[in-house]
Amino acid sequence: MRQKIVFMTLALFLLLVIVELVRRRRLRVEYSWLWIAAGLTIVMLILRYDLLIVLTNAVGAVVTTSTLFFCCILYLALLCLHYSVRITALTREVKELAQEVALLKAEREVRPARQD
Amino acid sequence: MERRVLVVIPAWNEAPNIEAVLAELRAARPADAMVVVDDGSTDGTAALARRAGAGVLQLPFHIGYGAAIQAGIKYGQRGGYRVVVTFDGDGQHDPADIAPLVEAVEQGADLVLGSRFLAPTAFRGSLARRAGRGILSIIARRLTGLSLTDPTSGLKALGPRAQELFALARFPDRFPDADALILAARARLHVAERPARMRRSRNRHSMHDGHRAVAYTFNMLLSLLVAAAGREADLRG
Repeated sequence: MRQKIVFMTLALFLLLVIVELVRRRRLRVEYSWLWIAAGLTIVMLILRYDLLIVLTNAVGAVVTTSTLFFCCILYLALLCLHYSVRITALTREVKELAQEVALLKAEREVRPARQD
Repeated sequence: MERRVLVVIPAWNEAPNIEAVLAELRAARPADAMVVVDDGSTDGTAALARRAGAGVLQLPFHIGYGAAIQAGIKYGQRGGYRVVVTFDGDGQHDPADIAPLVEAVEQGADLVLGSRFLAPTAFRGSLARRAGRGILSIIARRLTGLSLTDPTSGLKALGPRAQELFALARFPDRFPDADALILAARARLHVAERPARMRRSRNRHSMHDGHRAVAYTFNMLLSLLVAAAGREADLRG
């Protein structure tokens, strides 16, 4: 019972932080879904421990803790992959912008800005 | 008279070399336009290049050799140059080798590489570098059907179609060597080679030295496979 109270408090705190970050525009809405889903999953597993047992049996694991840890690691790995994809896109965008800045600067040096 | 040839000189902290490189280029190729792509140098390379009378494309921060070259190619496209020549800023290339490259483009090639190994005084390099190049050469031949002796050469001449391919946003900008050639072959560009002498650059901080050559080779291998399997070669985007 004490376990449940501790983890419920943590999960609710996590959800509160996420909502607050989105509200203050510190976290983009599209990224917040991942974190909200994680928080809600924790809440759900606290309320319905039997679901974890069902899942454990379904994947053929022996103890529920290993199912839990496996899911956590999988989740984090996918999150990292997602970030790598984003970083790749951002790197390309930054490169394109840097090149464009250099080209525009060079253009301005050749033809000084008109006074109008 | 409109200038037909643009020489793109990527330079990252090349202050000790850049003036000599530009003076030599100016003497050998007086009719060509020159643009130094300053890749976030902190040693005043851009100012030296401006004083030497070259055009300068100053990147706001360091974005890497391939991306710097790409910026120069975009500059050439916007200026409407028929031929863009890439020429390293560290003094390892010889301006006398530019003429045959440009001539080959004018005779119909899209992309022409200056090869150390076709030149009379063959450049050798360290064992690691030779092994790396040998492997890349074999793989590049397998994947493209092109028999190129020096796929990592930094001395290249690009016609309009090669410029278009190299300027694509998704072009591999980290290792634009053998993988770029595979893309060129897959885009059905006509690729050729001409002899080029390579010198040890005066003040070198080459990226191909020591253990980095090994890392480079592995990165290159992966990059080659991606180039062979990917969709980048489609010029229509």
